[in-house]
Amino acid sequence: MFRKRSKSNPPEVVAYDATPVAEVQSRVHTTVIGQITSIKTQPSRGLPNLVMKVTDESGSATVTWSGRRSIGGITLGRKILITGVAMRTGGIVAFVNPEYQLLA
Amino acid sequence: MKIIIAGAGSVGRYMAEQLSKFGHDIQLIDTNAKEVARVHAEGGTVTGLVGDACEISTLAKAGAADADVIAAVTGDDEDNLVVSLLAKQEFAVPRVVARVNNPNNEWMFNDMWGVDVSVSTPHLLTALVEEAVAVGSLVKLLSLEHGKAGLNEVTLAPGSPAVGNTIANLKLSRESVVVALIRDGHVVAPTPDTVLHENDEVLLLSTGDADEDLQRALIGPR
Repeated sequence: MFRKRSKSNPPEVVAYDATPVAEVQSRVHTTVIGQITSIKTQPSRGLPNLVMKVTDESGSATVTWSGRRSIGGITLGRKILITGVAMRTGGIVAFVNPEYQLLA
Repeated sequence: MKIIIAGAGSVGRYMAEQLSKFGHDIQLIDTNAKEVARVHAEGGTVTGLVGDACEISTLAKAGAADADVIAAVTGDDEDNLVVSLLAKQEFAVPRVVARVNNPNNEWMFNDMWGVDVSVSTPHLLTALVEEAVAVGSLVKLLSLEHGKAGLNEVTLAPGSPAVGNTIANLKLSRESVVVALIRDGHVVAPTPDTVLHENDEVLLLSTGDADEDLQRALIGPR
C-alpha cells in the first residue's frame, strides 16, 4: 500500500543558491537550476539508465539516474533543481543519482 | 595519489602495502579493529580507519571527497557494490575499482553501480589457466573501458599464418595493435618489421569486436 502524500504541506519553495553550470567545480556539492532540454534512456548491458540534459544560460549538465526508464514529472522543458556532487570530465558536467526538485 | 581501500582482509592489506611502497597515500577501512590494527603494525604510509565503508560518514572521514581512487575489495560483493555506488554518487571519485567474489555477480559490477573497473579472481584464474593450456587460440586476458577494449593473447601455433611474417604484413584492422611479444621468456618490443616466430606469445590491445580479425591474422581458418 502506498501512503498518499498529504496535500496540506506542499514542498516549500525558497530561493536557492544555484551555481551556473559553467562554473560548477568537480567533486563539490553543488546546486544547479535549469531546463530539461533532452531526455533519453541509455541502456548499459541491458540495464536502463535515464540520462537527461539540464541547461541554463551558461551551459548544460548531464544527469544520470541508474536503473530507471522514466521518472514521473521529468519531462522535456520543465525547470528543475539538481543538487549533488558534480563530476567534471573535460568540458562535461555530470551528476549521478542527484536529489532533484521540479520547479515549474 | 590518494587511495582508499575498503576491506582490510588479506587482499586489502596486501594492496595497501604494495601501493604504499610506490609512494601512494593509503587509507584502509574495515569494521574489524583487529585487522586494521595489523595494518598499523606493518607501518608505511598506510592509515587505518575502523568503520563501515558502506556508510557515507565513514567514507567522508576517510577523505573520499579528494581521493583519486577507491578500491572496494571486501569479501562481500554486496558491500563492494555499495561502496562503489557511494564513491561515485556521493563523492564523484574518478576511479572506482571493485573486487568480484562470486563470478555470478559480475554482471552487476558496471557503471550503474559506479564501478569503473571490476576484478574477478575466478575469471582471471580461468583466463590464466586457459592461457597456459591454449596454443593457437585467442585468450582474452583483461577487459578495459567497460568491455569496449581488451587485452588479448595468442601463442602462435606452428601452422599459424603469422609465423614468418612481419607485424606490418599481418594487416590487422585499425581496431587492434600489437603491444608486446614474449619470446623465450623475454619481452620484445614490437616494430612493424618484427618477424613473428612459432611459440611467440603475441599480446594485442583491441577495441570493438576484433576477434574475427585476430583469428584470421594470427590463428588461421578453424
